[in-house]
Amino acid sequence: MRIGWKQRSRVTSWVLGTLTVIFLAYQWLPIFTLGLLSFAGPTGGTTFPMNGTSFHWYEEVWKATVMNDFKPPLLRSSLLALACSLTTIVLATMAAQAMRGQFRGSGWFFYLMLLGIMAPGILVGFGFAIMMRILGVGLSWDTTTFMVQVSWTLPFGFLTMLAVFNRFDKKVEEAALTLGASRITTFRRITLPLVLPGVIGAGLFGFSLSYDEYPRSMFTTGPDATLPLAIMAQLDRQLTPEIYAVGTTTTLFSLIAVTLCTFGLWAMRRSTAVRRT
Amino acid sequence: MVPAIARPQLDLELRGIRKRYGNFTAVDGVSLKVKKGQFVCLLGPSGCGKTTSLRCIAGLEEPDDGDILIGGKEVTRDPPWERDIAMMFQDFALFPHMTVAKNVAFGLEMLKKPKAVIVERVQQVLKSFEIDALANRKPGSLSGGQRQRVALARAMITEPRILLLDEPIGALDYSLRETVMLELKMLQQRTGISFIWVTHDQNEAFSLGDLVVVMNHAKIEQQGPPEEILQRPATAFVASFVQGNNVFRGKVLRAADSLLEVETPAGSFLVPGAGLALGSDVSFSVRAENLTDITGDHHLNRLTARCTAVEYFGSVRRHIFERSDGELLKYDQFGAHAARIAAGQVATLGWRPEDTVLHTGIAG
Repeated sequence: MRIGWKQRSRVTSWVLGTLTVIFLAYQWLPIFTLGLLSFAGPTGGTTFPMNGTSFHWYEEVWKATVMNDFKPPLLRSSLLALACSLTTIVLATMAAQAMRGQFRGSGWFFYLMLLGIMAPGILVGFGFAIMMRILGVGLSWDTTTFMVQVSWTLPFGFLTMLAVFNRFDKKVEEAALTLGASRITTFRRITLPLVLPGVIGAGLFGFSLSYDEYPRSMFTTGPDATLPLAIMAQLDRQLTPEIYAVGTTTTLFSLIAVTLCTFGLWAMRRSTAVRRT
Repeated sequence: MVPAIARPQLDLELRGIRKRYGNFTAVDGVSLKVKKGQFVCLLGPSGCGKTTSLRCIAGLEEPDDGDILIGGKEVTRDPPWERDIAMMFQDFALFPHMTVAKNVAFGLEMLKKPKAVIVERVQQVLKSFEIDALANRKPGSLSGGQRQRVALARAMITEPRILLLDEPIGALDYSLRETVMLELKMLQQRTGISFIWVTHDQNEAFSLGDLVVVMNHAKIEQQGPPEEILQRPATAFVASFVQGNNVFRGKVLRAADSLLEVETPAGSFLVPGAGLALGSDVSFSVRAENLTDITGDHHLNRLTARCTAVEYFGSVRRHIFERSDGELLKYDQFGAHAARIAAGQVATLGWRPEDTVLHTGIAG
């Protein structure tokens, strides 16, 4: 039977569908494994086969023997991620806004901004640490790590905002200008509300990229470790399913946070959506 | 031009506006005077500089050269928000995140009017534009006609000195356009606000404009009342851009008694005119309705050609002939009587020299 060019054949559908499922499984199974092992029995290890099932390791986390070690790094990483996120939002929006105007050297500016994505993180971190030593600046998670991480999160936010402004209708800004709004008022009342979903996206990017950043933090953090560094150190010392319980718990929290953000975005879009009549 | 009556107040004056983008000259020395309450149409093909001129007036573009005066005040370098204008965009450019009422209120909010005044005035304007039922809707849920009304209400609420309209009905359904045109014309006459209306549609320009400005290649080709543009095109471009003209180009062969004999590839014709050297290049035109297939002694200009098509528009029957120089000749016959010439027939058409217009404009 001849099928229309817009319909997929049954075989194609199955092949593509199977590939998709395999891909998703490949991506997500490690996390499920991690989750599964966190329910191992009190004598269980960090590998299969599982040695019984229990909430033992969650109790341990709750009793906070390990968690006490993780609390300060967790706080540091959260604050750091938040700061990177906010900095990315402001700088990325400003940089993308500047790119709309096509200033002199904007091509070079574009490539220089993207350098943060291209350059290998471990080298950036190492190089930055050396430079700080030469300059005599002490390493700390809230100064040097912050700066290095922003150079990593900013290009992602920048690209996000460029894409958002690319689809942006300049006419609505011009309409505001002819209606008596100054450039600042136009930005505040018209541009910003319309690109807000993109701004939030750039912020989420900045947060998650900073939160689990390892290579750039490794050499730049100084004595007080961030969460990824602390976890890595813990893995080096002793490996119990407790660390999986910590991982599963944080993953759950992240999922809840992302879900809430997505729902918020959806609700916002719904209120400004262009409904076709 | 009409002689000025003791310093008439001008709403707008352009003095030699020039705007260049790299190597491309978008506006090249445009000068224009708009009297108080005048309806001006900038007419021309796309890329002729009409929209750029409008954007210069709005302040959205800064001219490289020339002066812009609004209400007698020089504003060439002033930002848009300090000019006494409002603008309507082709796709209306409504604020998608605001309700209709918020959109309309925007201009007043920018003037920092008290809240109570704004609320009352918005109510009043929404009512007068018959969109009060839509006050709490977002633009995304409106039809084209409704959006057009909202955009107009938003622009008019501050009662600007000049309203700039960039193809304001181009985005509307064809069936709506005529009604909207009439409404806008009546609104303009009632409010006395000067309208500057950019369009490529000559029907809009001629039926609405008090003053029609025809532009081509960044320059003004001709400006005047619609009748003047229609009856006395100044350049070959204007004549060919305006519907219903037959344009001829040729050289002056003889000159006598304020008549020129011009030799063209389609034959020699008599054209009123004087003061031109023999052999100089000229162009002239004759309107399709001034031709006749029943020629008399006074129809000194004659042309024999084959009719290739007949179009019927209700009140007028247009015959298309193929000229010997390859161009088309249009002949309009008015009235609903039966066709005298059918497609494929060869006929001799004639017209009087006095119905012929010699193009005197410099541009083109």
